[in-house]
Amino acid sequence: MVSATTTTPSLRFDRGATENVTELFARWQDQGDPAAREELVRRFMPLTRSLARRYDRSSEPFEDLLQVASMGLLKALDRFDAERGHSFPSFAVPTILGEMRRYFRDCGWSVHVPRGDQERALKVRNAQETLTNEHGRAPTVNQLAVYLELGIEQVIDALQATEAYETKSLDAPRPRGDGETTTYGDSMGQEDERYELVELDATIVSALEHVPARERAMLHMRFVEELTQTEIAARVGISQMQVSRLLRRSLDQLRALTRDTASEVC
Amino acid sequence: MPELLPNVRLQLANTPENVVLVREMFSGLAEGLGVGESDLNDIRTAVTEACNNIVLHAYSGGPGPMEVDVHVASQSLKIFVRDHGRGIRARAEQEIDADDCSAGIGLHVIQTLAHDVEFQAVGGGGTEVCMEFVLPGVSALEPCSDKQALSSFASSQPSPAAILSISPVGLARTVLPRLVSALAARAHFSTDRISDTQLLADALVAHADGALSGDHLSVCVNVEPREIELHIAPLMAGRARRLIGDSELDGMGRVIEKLTNRRRVTKVGAHETLTLGLVDSR
Repeated sequence: MVSATTTTPSLRFDRGATENVTELFARWQDQGDPAAREELVRRFMPLTRSLARRYDRSSEPFEDLLQVASMGLLKALDRFDAERGHSFPSFAVPTILGEMRRYFRDCGWSVHVPRGDQERALKVRNAQETLTNEHGRAPTVNQLAVYLELGIEQVIDALQATEAYETKSLDAPRPRGDGETTTYGDSMGQEDERYELVELDATIVSALEHVPARERAMLHMRFVEELTQTEIAARVGISQMQVSRLLRRSLDQLRALTRDTASEVC
Repeated sequence: MPELLPNVRLQLANTPENVVLVREMFSGLAEGLGVGESDLNDIRTAVTEACNNIVLHAYSGGPGPMEVDVHVASQSLKIFVRDHGRGIRARAEQEIDADDCSAGIGLHVIQTLAHDVEFQAVGGGGTEVCMEFVLPGVSALEPCSDKQALSSFASSQPSPAAILSISPVGLARTVLPRLVSALAARAHFSTDRISDTQLLADALVAHADGALSGDHLSVCVNVEPREIELHIAPLMAGRARRLIGDSELDGMGRVIEKLTNRRRVTKVGAHETLTLGLVDSR
């Protein structure tokens, strides 16, 4: 039998500066000494900063994150009850994180973050084109990260995001005649044809015929002429990420069509 | 009681760059399961804390394995982050010795973000953090039924970058492309070739269905500069070649062949392993 051990939070913090912290809390909470509060803020700023850093991948500027986290710290300092026997960090961390999550939930995730990601995705796409033109070949993620002063992970996520956003905008229901167009739709002009794919015509021999001509051409360039995606992008006049997304999409469609045909035959 | 097998297991070394892979894996999983941005962020943050702890403390700063298991339950994800290093007590003491008021806050972060957290000693040494996240939109998935499935590459691959075992296979659709493109980025592939790697992962997941010997897929990835190698198992006898053949595109050849530089089939007991090599030669 494996023995289950649970570490209690207090185990980790009850050494070192604890005595002083207890005294400081007594001076602040019992005597209202503002200098003691100031000292507590100073002492727990590294913790606050370290928590804010955990959310630094979001699109919010770090200074804003730190400000929200600091508000959490002040709340925690005011509400902490030393008599209860918990260490201050075990009380402060949930309070600070709670403050940050509320901030994101109220005004953050639903609006700012996707937009921030989208902006970053756009930057990455532009950098990709600039670097491709400069070096005559597609850049690596490292090169993009250095050029944009971003982390590797941020670039990887931005590359994924480009696909996600563009796919989403394509997949959104588009009732006829609503007058709305996407950038992608404008540039490709093949929208309606694509939606007819769902209605499979049993008399058509080749699944490829269901793929819009331009995408079929791109598949041909990649798999028969064996061009790179960057070369295809240059030839078709769209970005490499768009080529990537369209290839993924049309291959998915082809596989779905082949599956459907196979199950009809069975 | 039979051991409950996970829907996803990711096995890696405890390097900081691998924590990124774990995060990417969860992004892919969230996409596949329809988990929202805010919940995903909580999960990624908590899991990052657990992994960072393994990177820094589980092996006294040295190298060692790191494992992440995910069980997709009804309205929740149960996530296990495991190491086979020093026990939890020794680690807690080391953190205290660091005598830094921000040491160990990872634990509080996990406790705040997860609905439930448990720490357990792993038999034979090591620690396991079990975190549960309540996610109302998530439905339970059948766990992997074959215990062997989780050890397809136990001895055949000396030091892989990552091993992903996933069941049901459909779950790999959003997970595998993300994972392999992050590994392709690590291999210094150009964005061109990273996208090719995604196309390959898509094709593998789509065509693996009829070739696998059960409803689980294991992929082992080796990374070298400008080169990655994928091992796909466990395939039924004779199905590895057929899997490649199934990727035939009307008059354009086989997608899997076109995207890879090398292909090899190895017999492993009654099964086959398909090995695919991708090179970025530019």
